[in-house]
Amino acid sequence: MDVSIQGVFEKGYVTTSLDTVFNWASCGSLWPMTFGLACCAVEMMHSAASRYDMDRFGIVFRPSPRQSDLMIVAGTLTNKMAPALRKVYDQMAEPRWVLSMGTCANGGGYYHYAYSVVRGCDRIVPVDVYVPGCPPTAEALLYGLIQIQNKIKRTQTISRT
Amino acid sequence: MNAKLEKLAASLRVILGDNLAGLVEHVGEITIDVKAAGWLAAAKLLRDHPELRFEQLIDLCGVDFSAYGNSEFSAGNWQGKRFAAVVHLLSLSNNWRVRVHIFAEDDEMPMIDSVVDIWPSVNWYEREAFDLFGVIFVGHPDLRRILCDYGFIGHPFRKDFPLVGNVEMRYDPELKRVVYQPVSMENRVTIPRVNREESYGA
Repeated sequence: MDVSIQGVFEKGYVTTSLDTVFNWASCGSLWPMTFGLACCAVEMMHSAASRYDMDRFGIVFRPSPRQSDLMIVAGTLTNKMAPALRKVYDQMAEPRWVLSMGTCANGGGYYHYAYSVVRGCDRIVPVDVYVPGCPPTAEALLYGLIQIQNKIKRTQTISRT
Repeated sequence: MNAKLEKLAASLRVILGDNLAGLVEHVGEITIDVKAAGWLAAAKLLRDHPELRFEQLIDLCGVDFSAYGNSEFSAGNWQGKRFAAVVHLLSLSNNWRVRVHIFAEDDEMPMIDSVVDIWPSVNWYEREAFDLFGVIFVGHPDLRRILCDYGFIGHPFRKDFPLVGNVEMRYDPELKRVVYQPVSMENRVTIPRVNREESYGA
């Protein structure tokens, strides 16, 4: 490498600017995988429908894990569903994020002491943002999605220190 | 009992004969006990006999009677068999209903004849009763679990099944798959605190 550009690829103007552009792009087109498991899925649909309209934030639901970079776990995760959830997560391309929606997905919630429910989807997949509520309102989910976008804006893919 | 129920009760007594182990009328509904050995024959009669004509099976579910009558105020003293199937039948042509109890003879290995050939709608109900209570329906064409996960051990609606179960799931980063492990919490039973005045209900 030429001596004149040495140091530029350490934490310099070019790398941080590239990161900003990448992060701007990925949080402006956050494509969630629909993983509606229970009643939370209805609130998820509300936040996608015309009144709250996720599209304004560039968030568009995709039916395939290969095309999505965010998974919204919306509802009660049962033991029977857990392997399928993990499989779908593994099929998603990096970088990927997970939003846990509602008390059931956060920690088992109402079914915490049940024999058939996973006590929190973070036992199966790593979770970035937890949205509380039973079910969370559409506004709460949108707030959680904005928190995901804020988290993406802070990530450093190229200019690692 | 109104005249219509009287007629139904009389017909049931005559037609089912020895297979009928009991008949109770309560709040305008008739409940009969049918012996497990005669259930298949009785089911055919219930559907086909012109005086009964129960063409439609509404529901079948299992019951575990082992804690029947247990409460805060009394210990149950259930002397009968442990497992039963409860069937709800409807006759559209006669506009009447009946509830049928079939008690399985063996408490350890409860077995009841399947009535899939008589009412095909019972198929999944029998699978459900098998899954949750472990009642075996003899002659069922496809007696698999229907609700619990594929590797599940035990029958969760039995009274001796712990509420939190025996296993829980987590992702194992080394094996790169979801694994079962023994449940990590104690079985917890919520006991409601009831405050009642001395003369409550008097």
